[in-house]
Amino acid sequence: MRKKVGIGPKKELNADLNLTPFIDLLSTCVCFLLITAVWIEIGSVEIKQSHGTEASASKKISYDLDLVYFNPTKISLNLKKNGKKIRTYKVSTDSEDKFQNSLSSTIAQKILKIKKGSIDIASATITPRSSVNYGHLMKTLDTLRSHNIINIGVLTAKER
Amino acid sequence: MILNQSLIAADSFEKHLIKRKRKVSWGKKAAVCALMLTSMVDMFSMLVVFLLQTFSTSPEILINKGVSLPDSLTAAQVKEAPVLAIASDKNLYLDQKLVGPVEKILKNPKDLINKLNDIKNNWGKSHSGLAFPGEINLQADKEVASTLVSEVMGILTTGQFQSIQLAVIGVR
Repeated sequence: MRKKVGIGPKKELNADLNLTPFIDLLSTCVCFLLITAVWIEIGSVEIKQSHGTEASASKKISYDLDLVYFNPTKISLNLKKNGKKIRTYKVSTDSEDKFQNSLSSTIAQKILKIKKGSIDIASATITPRSSVNYGHLMKTLDTLRSHNIINIGVLTAKER
Repeated sequence: MILNQSLIAADSFEKHLIKRKRKVSWGKKAAVCALMLTSMVDMFSMLVVFLLQTFSTSPEILINKGVSLPDSLTAAQVKEAPVLAIASDKNLYLDQKLVGPVEKILKNPKDLINKLNDIKNNWGKSHSGLAFPGEINLQADKEVASTLVSEVMGILTTGQFQSIQLAVIGVR
């Protein structure tokens, strides 16, 4: 016989959730994630040593930038057009804290806007000094990369 | 958790606890307490969400002892490659193994070049038919002179390690 729908003892609607496997799964997840967690994120900055890139060869007119350090608060920026130096700017500050801001504004206002429109720098070359530490050099690389100057080379400079 | 004193609105486990408490309460106080599961599950779920958010699949490279890496805002993902490190004590390490003082190696880089050639040859044996990518991770202490780093980079370039990745601490 067919059972009539709606007739008969009512089923209880409350269902108990079995928490034990749920807590087991969560604790396993927590253990796994805690073991595999990376607390210090190491990144990388790609550098090419003392030579330009393919980018300069592909364009008719290419601009390159040479950065020559004198000390941690003084740097000379030489802008080159097709390999010939056309402008030189000097960035000098009282303290190291202001240096990166000053360098950044010089690049943005004077170098990248040398023409009416903005220009693209194909490659940049940095000549370091022994008085300039690696952390400072990395900040300069950061400043250049923030202005979309990505092809950066570092010249091999002897201790001076 | 405060136990419900009536047996009507209690589940089976609570009923068991109430009965047990009533039995014991004639003599001495019951030492029964239930674990608060709701808050524990909440805490676990929040931990899982936080850890999943910080989960990273990028390859992990070890930072040498005595090397405090500089920070960078424009860091890219690190690649798996041999690690050359210049520590604050001006010693050079290749894959955590001491090569020697940097000054000495710069004067006579034969040892370092030989070790780099070994790495290159091993790579060639395990990846036959593929061109050597020349990738290397360079870790240097942020207080080390930049000229020292550039001279080591010069040795790497002559050893056919053209693609130098400077290791940094990524700042978000």
